[in-house]
Amino acid sequence: MQVEISRRKFLQGSVALSITGGSAVSFTNLLATDKKPLHKNVKIATVCEMCVNKCTAWAKVEDGIVKKLDPNPLFPKSKNMLCARGDAGIHALYDPDRLKYPLIRIGKKGEGKFKRATWEEAYHAILNGTKLFKGMKQILEEEKDNRSTLGYCAGEGMGEHTFKQFMGDLIGSANFVNHSSICLKTTTAGYALTLGAYGKADLDNAKYVIMAGANRAEAILTPDTMDMFKRTRGRGLKLIVLDPRYTNTAQHADKWLGIKVGTDLAFVLALTYVVIKEVLFNKEFVAKNMNHFQEYKTHILSNNYTPEWAEKITGIKAHEIYTIARDFMAHAPSAIYYQGRRTAWSLQDFQLRRAQAIFTALGGGIDMKGGIVFGKKLPLDEHTVEIPLYANIQRRIDKKEATFVGPNGTWIGFRNAIIEKRTPYPLRAMFSYKQNPMQAIPNIAKTRKMFEMLDLAVTIDTMPSDTVMMSDVVLPECTYLEREDPVKSFAGVEPAIILRNKVIEPMYDTRAVYDILKGLSQVISKPLFKITAKYDADVQEEIEDASYEDVYEENGFDLTKAYVHTQEHINKERVVNEYGEEAYKTLKEKGVFYPHMDTYFKQLGMNEYQYYPDDKKYYTSPGGEKLDAQDTCIDEKAIAALKKNLGTASGKVECYLETMKKNGVDPMPTWRDELYNEAPKGKFKFVTGRHAQQTQNSTANNIMLLDVMRENYVWINKEQADEKGIKYGDIVEVKSSVGIIHIKAYPTIKIIKDVVFYVHGFGQESTGLTFGYRNGASDNMIIEDTIESVFGTAAMHETLVEVRKV
Amino acid sequence: MNFAMALDYQSCIDCKACEVACKEENGVQLGADKQRIWVSQSEKSIFGEPFVALHPSQCNHCQDAPCVDVCPTGSSYFALGGIVMTNKDTCILCKGCMEACPYDARFVDDTHVAVDKCTFCYDTRIVNGEMTTACQATCPTKVRLFGDLDDEEGELIQMLNKRKFYVLKEDEGTVPKLFYMLPEHDKNYAMNSVDEGTNIYTWDEFKPIIEMAKAKRKPQWQAMQE
Repeated sequence: MQVEISRRKFLQGSVALSITGGSAVSFTNLLATDKKPLHKNVKIATVCEMCVNKCTAWAKVEDGIVKKLDPNPLFPKSKNMLCARGDAGIHALYDPDRLKYPLIRIGKKGEGKFKRATWEEAYHAILNGTKLFKGMKQILEEEKDNRSTLGYCAGEGMGEHTFKQFMGDLIGSANFVNHSSICLKTTTAGYALTLGAYGKADLDNAKYVIMAGANRAEAILTPDTMDMFKRTRGRGLKLIVLDPRYTNTAQHADKWLGIKVGTDLAFVLALTYVVIKEVLFNKEFVAKNMNHFQEYKTHILSNNYTPEWAEKITGIKAHEIYTIARDFMAHAPSAIYYQGRRTAWSLQDFQLRRAQAIFTALGGGIDMKGGIVFGKKLPLDEHTVEIPLYANIQRRIDKKEATFVGPNGTWIGFRNAIIEKRTPYPLRAMFSYKQNPMQAIPNIAKTRKMFEMLDLAVTIDTMPSDTVMMSDVVLPECTYLEREDPVKSFAGVEPAIILRNKVIEPMYDTRAVYDILKGLSQVISKPLFKITAKYDADVQEEIEDASYEDVYEENGFDLTKAYVHTQEHINKERVVNEYGEEAYKTLKEKGVFYPHMDTYFKQLGMNEYQYYPDDKKYYTSPGGEKLDAQDTCIDEKAIAALKKNLGTASGKVECYLETMKKNGVDPMPTWRDELYNEAPKGKFKFVTGRHAQQTQNSTANNIMLLDVMRENYVWINKEQADEKGIKYGDIVEVKSSVGIIHIKAYPTIKIIKDVVFYVHGFGQESTGLTFGYRNGASDNMIIEDTIESVFGTAAMHETLVEVRKV
Repeated sequence: MNFAMALDYQSCIDCKACEVACKEENGVQLGADKQRIWVSQSEKSIFGEPFVALHPSQCNHCQDAPCVDVCPTGSSYFALGGIVMTNKDTCILCKGCMEACPYDARFVDDTHVAVDKCTFCYDTRIVNGEMTTACQATCPTKVRLFGDLDDEEGELIQMLNKRKFYVLKEDEGTVPKLFYMLPEHDKNYAMNSVDEGTNIYTWDEFKPIIEMAKAKRKPQWQAMQE
């Protein structure tokens, strides 16, 4: 017997949507059989986009409906798995709350009142504005073609480059911000400037790993998560976990040390002290591969960074530090101080990452099996487009917000400069793609203010996020299962190329970002060139020599030229030119390609596969090239620019950075008491984190994922909770200097005293999210907008809060 | 064929991929209390330090299943390979099987108005000749190994021959077929993650128990149903 859940009941569930004209297309319609399916009962190779990892998957399609996603074991990076989020990808596709057609704002900003529009209407609204907001044409006219007045941001993804190319190269804005400065900027910079690249920890072979703050059991990263947890508990990988919380990663550790928040640098310096004092380092490696080691040695010893000194700061016993330092070096070079991912923690974060990198290098585990590896990358033919040059573009608005602001910006610095009116020229529009700054940036009140100040906010997304609610024009992207994305090559020990195939045709009136931009370029290209011709002296000069039309046609100003081919065509060309037709066929069918895959790839058991034979793996990078193309969070181009500007050409491990010295930054990792704040009595330090059932704030409405984790709870030390009379499930108020939230309490012995934690991704404010709306609490409501001064990265673990039962 | 599963539970990270894969594969009703499979956590404090053990679990597909006996309509039955199944059309929701099950592996599926439970992906995979379950396939750290106890050459028997294991609630006499592999290299973890009084077995020791229960129940096994 099957009980039908009625359509009426279903629609009742979705009336919370405040988007006017919405919910006309219902879930039941899409299940109707009269729609002609693209595929019948087939399995199509695709690539997951529920998080950043890019696991390959098989999509099982029946009568045009995606029924199941299964792991595709062919990709060495994702091995043979899909996590909870990957499995729940179907609910990203069939979420009834999805953005279904272009929207134009008709209510007050942030009110969430939109009208349904055609794509042409939406594009024209972006160009010309409406009576409620200004368009690109008016803005650029008023700003005399300074394209940088149009800011843009993007989340990580296979389409990020497509969007960046449009806004940066074709439109010409210098004002790009992405996840980097609220994520891993300090680490990628720290490792790139110290080792030459961020690299990848070879957790498949490492024998000793110190994982501090990183939480690979809950913040899943491929292949690290799969590699390490099959080897913990005496099975080859000795694991030391430092974290104020006893995480699922700590459960697997041989030793868990509940370190005080913000003191990791003191811990690493003390480890370094022991290793140098007792001469435990790899002398041969150090002599051959490290620059300025003598200065570093003197620096560490003369500052007396002893374990006894560190004990007072970190709360970790000196004898533990001695033991770990000695054990680490006894296992070196197969010993790694794990780099970390979202490392926007403290004011001293950049120096911490430098110290970790140098410490790992002291053991010699660099560019070799069991250490930090760089691997090899399989080349793909470049697809080039002609790029116009604009004379009136001004440089980034956030250049002065930190010592070094790179091409990905400092999100907090960028936003605060806007709202505090410190920008050299006005930033008037924001184009957001696959990022949700309203929930992603610490201090939500300020982000709201920024959006309120903008003349134009355009957002491309699949879901009605909080940022969508603050937008003037909303362009609905189709989900990853409805589009082919740019082909991608992943470097590594076992390099491979993967392709995300379109599984079904886009539902509703949605488009892939490539097609969205193609359509937009057709509408805005000519009118915008008219403004350039009016204000751009170089262009005017060229027009005098040639004709207006010729300059437009031949100098890249015709933006539509970048989109003459389809994404499918570009992908095919890039693969065929490099590897031939057969390789492309394999890639299309199987989703994965690498040379000799047909002979190298083998199933070894029910759960195990071989990708490359051991002697064909690239543990040591051929040619010594330090590659950073191991995942899509790490921007190779930004890192290359950083190394060019700030690094040295020596190719060695750099203990001392002259460029830092010149700019008033410590050239060697140095503990600064003045940059460390201990929680005063009665207050707690707040830390945030990730878990394996939600991705940032993008899956807050996924009903399947909410099934395995309904809402977030604040972790508080059991003893301290008892003192306050707080019991499990009690509603408590958590208050910082920037915000107040209410959340349920989880008193536990799994967190040290004076620290509270709750996971990121909950507490959305968008009324368009039936299940995500005000479910749990948002961390960025209370996190203060503090940045570390070197790169302008958010220091997310510097906020002090008060907790009380309400 | 005699289907069973080994769980190398020490590798579990509680990511819940198995729970979601199961729901997607089998169309299990939404709701936190509607789980065919789950990960149970036992948390304790050892000298003030936290200790957590994770036990991924599901229906044990007991060789001598009490749920089959109590069912008044024959809705609970043994399918091919001794898999314990429920027939949703004949279930009258008396919930006797839920009472009888020592593992709390059964729940009411409100959409079918019938009892639901793990099937080892019988309908979606086994009938198609596939020898992995959705939970095994999706697992990042490969906790599960599904297999056939009658296949001496099979990976499952090889693993059981190599490593010691235990079963849950042996005292109930149900002869469960989820084998929890004893952590070999971390004695501390092994000791703390196994309840006192739990018997540790080798396959040679446990095989006769299985064989005896199988001989008793085999006549009740039904052939493959389309």
